[in-house]
Amino acid sequence: MRQPMTPPMRRYLARFVPAMLAYVGVLVGSLWVIRHLAPTGPLLWALAVAPALPVIAVIAIMGLYLMEETDEFLRSVLAQSMLWGIGVTLTVTTAWGFLENADLLPHPPLYLIFPLFCASMGLAQPLVRWRYQ
Amino acid sequence: MKNRLKVLRAERDWSQADLADRLEVSRQTVNALETGKYDPSLPLAFKIARLFDQSIETIFQDEA
Repeated sequence: MRQPMTPPMRRYLARFVPAMLAYVGVLVGSLWVIRHLAPTGPLLWALAVAPALPVIAVIAIMGLYLMEETDEFLRSVLAQSMLWGIGVTLTVTTAWGFLENADLLPHPPLYLIFPLFCASMGLAQPLVRWRYQ
Repeated sequence: MKNRLKVLRAERDWSQADLADRLEVSRQTVNALETGKYDPSLPLAFKIARLFDQSIETIFQDEA
């Protein structure tokens, strides 16, 4: 039942996997240098923001896949799943913010917002696809 | 939108994968089209019409 990958899907994976490996490497390296060498000033800024760069690359890679996929149905399913991801992410972060205001919840690190988007988009995909069965 | 894709495909003894190959789309797309729950874009509708050598209106029926 599972589909063979379209060429844009293969390109997506060929970009996504190195970006994620780079993320792990940069994150570990950045944390290690900050902890052990205690840099300050612009170097600290550069090291601290470094792990965000491969994550930003992943966001761009997702956008590239959406543009490059020539199969209109697959593109439509992905676009709808992304809209669900955006909706869930905005809903959760908005509600969380107000709960945090009342000291009911702690302040989460903002870098968790992108994984929240990815997870909700991923969960939406089979549901969106199921509507066309 | 209702369509005769399944019938046209069966007449030629093609599988969903055969039709998908000829239309250069995924089998999922053919499946979604056949259920009538996914309406193709105009370029894909023309491609389907040309493949079966029929007009778009004889393949797709809008239920207005």
